[in-house]
Amino acid sequence: MNTSINKQEQNGAIIAVKTNVRDTINDFFKKTMEKGIFDAILIPMQVPAGDSFVYVLLKDSSLLKDASPLSPIMSVQGAKAVSSITRLGKGHMKIAAFLRPCETRATIELTKLEQTNLDNITLISMDCPGVMPISDYIEDPTKAMKLFENAIKNEDDTIMRPVCQICDKSSMVAGDLHIGLLGAKKDTFFIIPSSEKGKQVLSDLDITVKDNIDSWTSKTQAKAEEKQKKRKKAHKELRLKTGALDNFLDTFAQCINCHNCMRVCPVCYCRVCYFDSDKVKHPSEDYLQKAESKGSIRFLPDTSLFQMGRMTHMSLSCVSCGSCEDACPMSIPVAQVFSMIADETQELFNYNAGRSLEDPLPLKAYKEDELREMEDDHD
Amino acid sequence: MDRKIGVYICECGPNISEKIDIDKVIEAVSSLKDVVIVEKYKLLCSEDGKNFLKEQIKKHNITHLVVAACSPREHQQTFMNVCENAGINPYLFQLVNIREQCAWITEDKEEATKKAIKLTKAAIKRIYYHTPLEKKQIDSNPDVLVIGGGIAGIEASLQLAKPDRKVYLVEKTSSLGGLVKNFEKTYPDMIPSAPFIQQKIEKVHKNPNITIFTDSEVTGILGFFGNFEVKVNQLAAENKTTDFDVGAVILATGSTLFDPRKSPQYNYGTVDNVITALDFEQMNLTGKIVLKNGKPPKSAAIIHCVGRDKKGYCSEICCMYSLKFIRYLKEKIPGILVTNFYSDLCIPGKSHQKFYEQTLGKNVEFKRAENIEIHKKGEQLDIKYRDENGNTNKSLVDMVILSPALEVPSDSSTLGEFLGISQDDGNFFIEEHEKLSPVSTSTEGVYLAGCTQGPKSIPDTITQAEAVTGKILSSLIPGKKIEPEVKVSYISESFCIGCKTCLDVCSYGCITFNEVKKISVVNEVICRGCGNCVAACPSGAATLKHFTFRQLYQELSEAVQ
Repeated sequence: MNTSINKQEQNGAIIAVKTNVRDTINDFFKKTMEKGIFDAILIPMQVPAGDSFVYVLLKDSSLLKDASPLSPIMSVQGAKAVSSITRLGKGHMKIAAFLRPCETRATIELTKLEQTNLDNITLISMDCPGVMPISDYIEDPTKAMKLFENAIKNEDDTIMRPVCQICDKSSMVAGDLHIGLLGAKKDTFFIIPSSEKGKQVLSDLDITVKDNIDSWTSKTQAKAEEKQKKRKKAHKELRLKTGALDNFLDTFAQCINCHNCMRVCPVCYCRVCYFDSDKVKHPSEDYLQKAESKGSIRFLPDTSLFQMGRMTHMSLSCVSCGSCEDACPMSIPVAQVFSMIADETQELFNYNAGRSLEDPLPLKAYKEDELREMEDDHD
Repeated sequence: MDRKIGVYICECGPNISEKIDIDKVIEAVSSLKDVVIVEKYKLLCSEDGKNFLKEQIKKHNITHLVVAACSPREHQQTFMNVCENAGINPYLFQLVNIREQCAWITEDKEEATKKAIKLTKAAIKRIYYHTPLEKKQIDSNPDVLVIGGGIAGIEASLQLAKPDRKVYLVEKTSSLGGLVKNFEKTYPDMIPSAPFIQQKIEKVHKNPNITIFTDSEVTGILGFFGNFEVKVNQLAAENKTTDFDVGAVILATGSTLFDPRKSPQYNYGTVDNVITALDFEQMNLTGKIVLKNGKPPKSAAIIHCVGRDKKGYCSEICCMYSLKFIRYLKEKIPGILVTNFYSDLCIPGKSHQKFYEQTLGKNVEFKRAENIEIHKKGEQLDIKYRDENGNTNKSLVDMVILSPALEVPSDSSTLGEFLGISQDDGNFFIEEHEKLSPVSTSTEGVYLAGCTQGPKSIPDTITQAEAVTGKILSSLIPGKKIEPEVKVSYISESFCIGCKTCLDVCSYGCITFNEVKKISVVNEVICRGCGNCVAACPSGAATLKHFTFRQLYQELSEAVQ
């Protein structure tokens, strides 16, 4: 598990927190804009009504004071925002995208699929405490915000989403710069460069990278190990509940075919989802014939086929971000099931979605001996 | 369009009729939507059967034809031709394999009948969604790419280059002639080879229909018989890349010698006066046969079969050229003692035995030996070996000539990859069939000539070059039209998301990326319809004609009902 950066580069810079972490981060971005390092910042911000958070592309640095790098919910997956900006190629603006580790990893997957262009984008991530289920938050945003702040202070993840509670990559560094909160002394945090691009940003800001980050490394590693154990246990239990076909069908029986999970999924990037296309619309006699052979068929049709189809299509790139589960109006544990399947399929190919731009997508990296593996399995 | 589906079930003599209850199949499918007629016939592939089908199509105004019979590999084309003759598009046809997949795989008639019904129903479901596909004809390119400027490539080029057929001859080194230009004389006639090879090289240079690329390598070949796109990189011209089209490709990349350093017991490269057959030919051609100290050797040993144990095959020509070396030595250095250390002598052919017998004589020895080792002893070389009786012997000589195995140059594998041709254990390119098609390959339009296919003498090499020439002259006729594959892939502009996954999986390099629209585009002329892109496309934008999603879905869902 790549929870820390390369051994040779185990240095970072310790940044002193002035009033609070949020303001210090915002101030950091303000400086990058003033120095002309970035022309714009992509960062979460509270909506004017105060009851949600969205990504904004900030061009006016004075607005940065209202940015919310540590938002309590993930209403939009940041990778989708980065893709929206650069799908048709890089722009002239240099942009810093402030994303959670799972959003960063989804961005990397999308980059390998040519859906984003990172040439002018610097990816900056932060130790993620997790986010709350959107449904919990919107019941009482003010109360939720307090709960969230307390949870961070007490390092308590019980109010976070189930997939966040079993996330073993919440401090995984996959972008260019990473802000490390864990293991930092009181009123400080680490800023850790993890690419040449990241180093350049710090050097342009006259921040020297020579502070020891061992406390961050050991703390995040311990956390990742603990979460990994928790994740394995949770998946084992989930497999019992959802594994066999009947259980699977039961789990997704509540599905209303709204396809929200697909629409919010960062790595479901198809222009038109196959399951929304005419290809799954059949003449009425086909349905009648199916009803005849089975006694009855449910409508809308193909709900479980949709889930299985999506699983085969995107589980190799799934980053377990949990957006699908947040979007499900029927509270189906979509993200938990998908995270379980994703872990298993990615392990098959020794692949870890979003870990690095260098790892080729298993679908593209065809190896002849993979076929032999299949042959052996059938012997 | 009103669909009228005709279903015909072939009894295939007793093959199908005895194993499947055909009447039950007829009963099961007769009432399906749009099926207007279901009939059985004793042998549909016979002339009578084909006429029967044709008459039925006309009589019942059949628009879509389903035939339940044998494997598509057997008679798909037969029935498609019947469709064309009867005036319906051959792609509005589906063959159901109820022989190999039902009748022949079980003794249980009931089970076989059940499966035959399922498969026939599935085919009828599929054919609802068939659409007519039109064959296209494109001009074939009669030009030929010859890779390798040795004797095989030269011969083929000379035979093929005519005003209506250009030849592109690509040679990796700086000059034509290959290995042959190193030889003073050739066996068994001992005629000087320079005039014959130089004459041919001159003819190649003078022929206006041959374009020669020396110091060049082929860096890409895409396409198929009649329509290959070639890229050649000219190393001497600052890596200038030249593109051209040809209709056929001849691989005449020849062979090289096994490196005796891989068998350290011969001490080649570490001890003076141990040389290879090629070193010896060059020494003989360019000057005098002398030792390192400039003096002529008083005795020489020729070691046969160097590397044969490692390569695992006989290189065919080494015994004969070793005999030729005896002739060189005796002619140039009177009184020299020549000893041949061999394990088996391979001298087949109508004139070789005679050559061998005439070479024997005074001061020529043949010793059957194994476990040969060569060591320096003073100014001389000590040959330690085990003789036929199992005794260890020694022999002192001034010079040792090694006759190593022939092998294919290691850089040939990239060519194999472009062309989709496998190589055997010795890296030689594999012919389509050792006996029946020795110069064709599994890729139509790509041929082998000379040692690239296996060790070969000069006459055999020329024979192959001429055989390839015959193949090309008879099949790639200038002005002839070719029909590209009809069942090709296409990529929907409105579905393609531009992830380029298809570019990585296409086996034929026929997909390009439109950077303006950010979508992938299939070159339908090069596409062979393998379906890789369809399977890999994450957004369902790629479709294979005649294997559309809907056709497969309908067929499968019926089959698994």
